[in-house]
Amino acid sequence: MAQVSRIGSFASVAALLATTALAQSYPERQITMVVPFAAGGPTDTVGRLIGEKMSEELGQQIIVENVGGAGGTLGAAQVAEAEPDGYTILLHHIGMATSETLYRELPYETLEAFATIGLVTEVPMTVVARADFEPADMAAFVAYVKENADTITMANAGIGAASHLCGMLLMQALDAPIVTVPYRGTGPAMTELVGGQIDIMCDQTTNTTEQIQGGTIKAYAVTTPERLDLFPDLPTASEAGLQGLDVTVWHGIYAPAGTPQEAIDRLSSALQAALADPAIAEQLAELGTAPSPAEDATPAALETRLNEEIERWRPIIEAAGVYAD
Amino acid sequence: MDLLSNLALGFATAASPANLLFCLIGVILGTLIGVLPGIGATATIAMLLPITFQLEPVSSLIMLAGIYYGAQYGGSTTAILINMPGESSSAVTAIDGYQMARRGKAGTALAVAALGSFFAGSVATLLVALFAPPLTTVALKFGAAEYFSLMVLGLVCAVALAHGSFLKALAMVVLGLLLGLAGTDIYTGAPRFTLGLPELADGFNFVALAVGVFGIAEILRNLEGSQGSREVLGQRLGGLFPSRADLRAMVAPMLRGTMLGSILGVLPGGGAILASFGSYTIEKRLSATPEEFGRGAIAGVAGPESANNAGAQTSFIPLLTLGIPANPVMALMVGAMIIQGIVPGPNVATEQPDLFWGIIASMWIGNLMLIVLNLPLIGIWVKLLKVPYHILFPIIIAFSSIGVYSVKGNAFDLFAVAAFGLLGYVFLKLRCEPAPLLLGFVLGPLLEENLRRAMILGRGDPSVFLTRPISAALLALTLGVIAVMLMPRIRRKREEVFVAED
Amino acid sequence: MRDRTFDPTDVAAGVIFILLGLAFGFSALGLEIGTSLRMGPGYAPLVLAGVLTLLGVLILASGLRSHPDEAIGPLAWRGAAFLLPAPILFGLTVRGLGFVPALFLATLLAAFASPRMKPWQALALAVTVTAFSTIVFSYALGLPFRRFGPWLAQ
Repeated sequence: MAQVSRIGSFASVAALLATTALAQSYPERQITMVVPFAAGGPTDTVGRLIGEKMSEELGQQIIVENVGGAGGTLGAAQVAEAEPDGYTILLHHIGMATSETLYRELPYETLEAFATIGLVTEVPMTVVARADFEPADMAAFVAYVKENADTITMANAGIGAASHLCGMLLMQALDAPIVTVPYRGTGPAMTELVGGQIDIMCDQTTNTTEQIQGGTIKAYAVTTPERLDLFPDLPTASEAGLQGLDVTVWHGIYAPAGTPQEAIDRLSSALQAALADPAIAEQLAELGTAPSPAEDATPAALETRLNEEIERWRPIIEAAGVYAD
Repeated sequence: MDLLSNLALGFATAASPANLLFCLIGVILGTLIGVLPGIGATATIAMLLPITFQLEPVSSLIMLAGIYYGAQYGGSTTAILINMPGESSSAVTAIDGYQMARRGKAGTALAVAALGSFFAGSVATLLVALFAPPLTTVALKFGAAEYFSLMVLGLVCAVALAHGSFLKALAMVVLGLLLGLAGTDIYTGAPRFTLGLPELADGFNFVALAVGVFGIAEILRNLEGSQGSREVLGQRLGGLFPSRADLRAMVAPMLRGTMLGSILGVLPGGGAILASFGSYTIEKRLSATPEEFGRGAIAGVAGPESANNAGAQTSFIPLLTLGIPANPVMALMVGAMIIQGIVPGPNVATEQPDLFWGIIASMWIGNLMLIVLNLPLIGIWVKLLKVPYHILFPIIIAFSSIGVYSVKGNAFDLFAVAAFGLLGYVFLKLRCEPAPLLLGFVLGPLLEENLRRAMILGRGDPSVFLTRPISAALLALTLGVIAVMLMPRIRRKREEVFVAED
Repeated sequence: MRDRTFDPTDVAAGVIFILLGLAFGFSALGLEIGTSLRMGPGYAPLVLAGVLTLLGVLILASGLRSHPDEAIGPLAWRGAAFLLPAPILFGLTVRGLGFVPALFLATLLAAFASPRMKPWQALALAVTVTAFSTIVFSYALGLPFRRFGPWLAQ
């Protein structure tokens, strides 16, 4: 027992020393960025792009560790339990807010377990359909889907996926119970949409842009408040008279709660600097998205967003009655 | 003559000294990491992916493709030498390849695998260059009903994998299907067989299952008895290269395997998985000596290895023509492309012809490099078997642990390795074979998912399976296979009856 | 040895399949079965668990009627006792102790699964494997493993 307490007090002294020394020296070794999804996915891509630029700013390597599983909650749980020393951070998307409701047995308290660092990017979504879907434009789409709701099928990439969230919003906005068909990931869902096996889907531009431009699928609207430079001809949902279909897949960077303020500030300023880099803007534009402005890449902005989104999705998910555990 | 000019462009791109070098580096690295036991193609690519980020887009993808083929070769090597498949496709190679190795024909098995892969790779690359767009159209005709029927056909093939008791093989398939269903149900979010563990939300890890029931179980068998670690592979290693008769025996299986693999590889929803299993079934059916299968039949290595490699090649088709990844490895490649600033989509072929054709050309160059590299290496691999077994197996355990852990960074997968190792050993002792279990595991989620999807899309009408022509054809084929499988049994029964009457 | 009238491997396999079938079936009971249009998550598991149990019964029955054609042979008790805990040990310690000590301990433990292994050999082997893997995976490939973990920090 004495042994333990001696180690304990030694540890706390060491931690104290570390904190005071941190201001000048952080970061002094490589930082692990946990991406709670498989390597090669869209979130992983955002993480690697931004991680590389932030490494240049910080003068220390940020290495991406993919801890996939359970809709991103396994990776998040791992970061929640990690030492709050600034050397383990998390890159997560909108799922950070929705899993609070989607998972009834979440192993962490989202708002208590993490410190926010900043928003990275917001990926817009598009309402798309198979290439030979009948309606000519968004107004016709709304009317057609409402009329034929019981014969129209809508794909999504699984519970909690962006396409699932957007699909729930779309059904709520249309007030039409469309038949939902889940797939295991975006790849198979998109294949069947291109193949005309299924009618409609709502997914991130990351996944749809190339297919829309290639003419293999048809786009009707974007889910942002304003039109996108990428698709100047596509109306917003509200332009077409569909209210409430306003959703983006926002990505944020987090650290375990209790991470020293110096480290948070350093990471946040590195994030802002990275996002200001024209090369990053160009690469994100390829994905149909843009870097978050500097005022959003702050701890306060992400914290506000996280709070808002948790509250926003709670009633929608509860109304749909779909849980991931 | 478009094709010729396209191929010329492709080879001009791929054969630049820098790209040749990156292809070679990729092939070598892929082979060296992939040959470590328990580390399959997915783990190898995930490990080596970051290295390619610094390169030019074309070079990066060429190197990545090289890593992919190299890792596949490496995976087959460990499947043959120590019964340790790191991927579903090489699980079939392990069945007869390992038996050949135990009989001192490891060199022959490795050479047959290498030659079969090279031939299949060359043919399939040509198919990709010639027919990628029309083949894509066929692939897109596959919906849930077609996939379900295809998986049923695959399931019937699964039973043929076993050479022992029919009932036990069937039970192992069903157990595999059940294990495959573990995890969160994608339709309702209900957790199934997860024992309340969040680590099981996405089901069991295939690599953990394969390493456990094949590799660990085999090591335990070799550690039996008071002596412990008997000399497994004997001292006689036989000739390294296949004899003329061996080569003759591999030609037909290789051709059939290549054909089957090329067709199934195009289907993005898990078709390629069936290629090597299907090829094994066909060879066993057509063989004059089916009793040799499971005891080291050359056709049982040549067919599946060719099918596997042809499928690996043609599974690039959906990626190249649509930008949609067909499997986790392809998904990794898409990630690499995006990081390079290329978002893969249906326009890659027209917008970036040098990239598109450069990758196709480098597929063939990569395969050529592999065969040149690997035939001389066979001698070295086989010599590794002379390392005393009690030295070898701790090394295998160490690398498998790293390999399994590196896939998802999840410690739970390592506990699963131990559990499946024990399960696999028990089944081994009870003469229940692991290959049907593995196929069931891979097919389980596909089968159920597509059945449920087809029923939703078909409004609950089961006739969709018969009214859609491709699905109906596949089900008819399934019935045919069952009939052929039952025939020898019926005949034998009848002969027994006649004998009794005499 | 008296002549047995049943095949122990088939009997044991049958019993195991029956137990597994019942276990899977039991844990699938709480799941919704659904309808043919909207099959619930419990549909396939319940059907398959039933089939597995039935196959187990058939295997058990055929085992009781046939003679053993091959003995079960010796069991790898020592092998299982040292080998199976090795990956578990690695999994438990790789984050806390770090990659290097975790791999060293796991390899060392696995090495003792064979009675032929002398202690100094096992030690040398574990050191070699650990050094090789650390160089290849951690330094050369840059995999995100912590070489020495927080448990060793103080």
